[in-house]
Amino acid sequence: MTLTSAEPLRATSRRGGFARSPAADRLTRFAVIAVTVLALIYILLPVYWMVKSSFQTSFDIRAQPPHWIPREITFQAYKDMGYIIPIWRYILNSIYVSAAAALLATLIGASAAYVLARFRFPLMTLFLVMILATQLIPPITRAFPIYSAIQAAGLLNSYTGIIIAYAGFSLPFSVMLLRGYFMNNCPPDLEEAALVDGCTYFSAFWRIILPISLPGLAAVTIFTFLNAWNDFLWASLLLSQGEMKTVQVGIGDFSAEGGGGRYINLVMAACVTATIPALIMFLFVQRWLVSGLTAGSVK
Amino acid sequence: MERQKRLFCYLMVAPAVIFTFVLGLLPMITSLGWSFLEYDLIRVQQTGTPFVGLENYKEVLSDGRFVRSITNTFLMTGLVIAFAISLGLVLAHVMHSNYRGRAIVRVLICAPWFVPPVVAAAIWMWLLNTDRSPINALLMDMGLIDSNIRFLTDSSTWGPFSVPLLSVTAVRAWNGLPFIVIFILAGLQSIPRDLYEAADVDGGNLWHKFRYVTLPLLKPVLGVLIMLLLITGIGHFEINYIMTGGGPQDLTNVMAVYSYLQAFNFFRFDLASAAGGVILVLTGIICALYIRGQLKNRDDR
Amino acid sequence: MSTMVRITNGWRGRCARAGAALAVSAVAMGAAAPQAFAQEIEFWTQSYGDLIAWQRTMDELTSEFEEQSGIEVNHELVNWSVAFNRWLTVAQGGAAPDCADMFWLHSFSAIGGDEYGPLPINEYRDRWPDLEAQFYEGSLQDVNWNGDFYGIPWRGDVRPLIYRTDYAAEAGLEGAPDTWDELVEHAKAMTVRDDNGNVTRWGFALGPDNVSQAYVPYYWQAGGLFMTEDGRTATIDNEATRTALTFIRDLVWEHEVLNPDFMERGHDPEADFQSGIVAMIGSAPGPTAPTLASDFPELDGKWALAIPAEGPAGRDAYAGSGYFGVLRGSDNVEECVQWLQFLSTPDSMQRLSEASGNVSPMRDVMASDFWSDTEWKKTITETLEHAHTSQHPSPVWNALVSPEPGAVIYDMMYEAVIQQQDLDEVIARAQERMQSEMDRAFVEE
Repeated sequence: MTLTSAEPLRATSRRGGFARSPAADRLTRFAVIAVTVLALIYILLPVYWMVKSSFQTSFDIRAQPPHWIPREITFQAYKDMGYIIPIWRYILNSIYVSAAAALLATLIGASAAYVLARFRFPLMTLFLVMILATQLIPPITRAFPIYSAIQAAGLLNSYTGIIIAYAGFSLPFSVMLLRGYFMNNCPPDLEEAALVDGCTYFSAFWRIILPISLPGLAAVTIFTFLNAWNDFLWASLLLSQGEMKTVQVGIGDFSAEGGGGRYINLVMAACVTATIPALIMFLFVQRWLVSGLTAGSVK
Repeated sequence: MERQKRLFCYLMVAPAVIFTFVLGLLPMITSLGWSFLEYDLIRVQQTGTPFVGLENYKEVLSDGRFVRSITNTFLMTGLVIAFAISLGLVLAHVMHSNYRGRAIVRVLICAPWFVPPVVAAAIWMWLLNTDRSPINALLMDMGLIDSNIRFLTDSSTWGPFSVPLLSVTAVRAWNGLPFIVIFILAGLQSIPRDLYEAADVDGGNLWHKFRYVTLPLLKPVLGVLIMLLLITGIGHFEINYIMTGGGPQDLTNVMAVYSYLQAFNFFRFDLASAAGGVILVLTGIICALYIRGQLKNRDDR
Repeated sequence: MSTMVRITNGWRGRCARAGAALAVSAVAMGAAAPQAFAQEIEFWTQSYGDLIAWQRTMDELTSEFEEQSGIEVNHELVNWSVAFNRWLTVAQGGAAPDCADMFWLHSFSAIGGDEYGPLPINEYRDRWPDLEAQFYEGSLQDVNWNGDFYGIPWRGDVRPLIYRTDYAAEAGLEGAPDTWDELVEHAKAMTVRDDNGNVTRWGFALGPDNVSQAYVPYYWQAGGLFMTEDGRTATIDNEATRTALTFIRDLVWEHEVLNPDFMERGHDPEADFQSGIVAMIGSAPGPTAPTLASDFPELDGKWALAIPAEGPAGRDAYAGSGYFGVLRGSDNVEECVQWLQFLSTPDSMQRLSEASGNVSPMRDVMASDFWSDTEWKKTITETLEHAHTSQHPSPVWNALVSPEPGAVIYDMMYEAVIQQQDLDEVIARAQERMQSEMDRAFVEE
């Protein structure tokens, strides 16, 4: 794989296509830096606007033309938001639901991905196609059937219902990623050796494969977590009542389009608050995220 | 031993299969079933849901609005993928290189991930609202424009393109960027350093390294990524719905928004399901190709 | 372990309350045989006015009621942004409360049929012997459908005109426009352009961000009605539609006082009014004035309300409404009715109106000091005289006036006003579509 890919490079260089050209490199670097700066403005603009608005009064937010920098900074929105949006409770709900779903999806996904990567057995193609095919169903088209199913199971407005739903939705992605991971990073000799040593298939998987696959498992867990954390549609359908709401629904309830709405500064303050846990988590796990993916996605 | 192994395999896949069946296949079949019934919420209590064959599909496909939404769906998905991946390639390199402050840059680039998408769309609407846009205000001050850009409402078109279409595309790309960057970054990290060193020896400049080392080696990663983005992009709903509701004049209308409006605004679950059915067929074709690729991967080993 | 403790405590609490409930009910019902009452009912309201004040009022009312009856009311706030989908789900058999603050009776009862959604409570009708005397007549129309009685009206959303008095003074105008012609004049005078000719302040906006709702009063003012009284025949192919659409079209293109983007998503006249980029809204929804009064002290004395300007046939004001009713599937109808009785006392109605800022369908409340202590409140009370209910006797009404492309009224406005297509063709097409939509609701036997 690596050899063939590097081939064109050699071929070209032999034809003398490459010349050392620091000038060209400088140009490339400059272009990359320029693009990055522009991209960062594009990426951070809404984030800045969110943070800025959370420190403004209702009137200042409405100022026309808009103030890029608040005239006066007030923390009132942060003091008031708790009355209207029980944000900390929502954050805890979200963390619980997302973490449980992430662990469940990773565990189930890893089991399936492992045997689908390693063994051949009747119906396995069918299973694989089925699991991967669920990815193609647009959420909109299955919203009502799933709502009915969750309701019929008596799991509407319960944490269990939404955890199961999230885990289910993330499965195709976790199976896909982990299957790649197991195929690329766990040499078959490993568990063969274990089996010879008298391990059962399951204990080989549990004791040997899972521990050495931690980076991949972590990456999948984080993705599932973030997907669940950011979901609005399902949470608004399945867990929309009372204190159990997730952050997305709790805040979404109050967010009016286009900066309208009565409590816009409180909503922004709540968003900033809700962003912090996700951000902190990301700071801790970003290394795992990338390294896990690296090993899984590329052969 | 063989039987034991087989049993093990089935036990291991069983939970995943059950989950995907209940939360994926079953609802999909139910929804497909609806598309062949009359399922009008206003009438359902009196008439029930009689079978009507392909009527709903006929009605949906003869609705000019829906047909336009198919083109828009593919156009926007394509644009989002092209734009976000090109930008993602640059940003992934920036995250990959070594320099002081890299950790901060990484977090900043991933920032959109942490802003609740519903709120992000609302903030973008605010930033792009013709009269209230701070961007317009800034550009006016700088003398770069002499009338407000109607980011989300300008209905003049060049071919299939329009300002609102590009604006919504930009927001969707913004939303997907962190995932894409991380995905590509993972791919970059798996490229052995010695290949670049080899390129150095051969006298390649940065562009050459990218063109002849990075890009070919990233191909499999990009392939998977594009497939994922295609599938999620074709069914995409939230940002289009929140920001424009499909307007102005259907310029940003996509299939999922059409389907949603049929169900929730006009109480026609049958037409919504038929529109969903069309989305399914289209994504199905792409997905079939994708799964074939996945299976081939396995057989290659 | 902790869950166990909570459960047992919960049970003990419930048993104690059950005893109290029995005792109270025996007293309350007089001779009636003591019934076993449910101790808890679930009750939803939408959010109104100042949310903190609203929540506090609901807390007070529920605890007073519990003290009096022994019935615990679990109140849950449903935000407006999700209310519609939530109620649509309820009408289809989704999770429902026992009773609630509801709206759109006609649509939701048609969708729910005899199984889900609003429950008729005809047999409890005599619990309110003075209903006609106490409530405005129009509001009672909104709680009856197909000959059944569904609950107690409690709020109105009557929409006056609002304008910036400082901008009006600046333009040398006095007071609010009284007629459509004056409206055009005022709007022109208050519209401001920059050096490049771009409008920096629009003289006029039709109504709320829901453009279909915004259109409705102008059609009435032009003398039109949307359908026959039996709700079976669409009646929009007429001169009134032509007049209303021409009026709006001219506001946009001839007088250039109405933002041509007013039909697009994200157009928010209320926010624009607060920003000072809209000088006047012809049909301002209920919360507009209370919000300005409480959240925008900077604008004090710079705005005023007025009765909507008079069109060729009148000065009808859009009036939405809401009612308290019971849901099908509830096992606690009796308890719900008691709660409704409690909520419909003059005292409760007064508090609900004050906390929510909504006008009350109860005459006494509107005659109270609260509704006459400021100029704008007086104007709202005066506007009530011109209130025209927005309910229509067809279950598809809400589909017809959905503010989205694809809805009949929206498409008609868009084609006529924004795209300036031939009026006759647009209207004929709309009439035909509206009729076929309305026919959905009537199944040929």
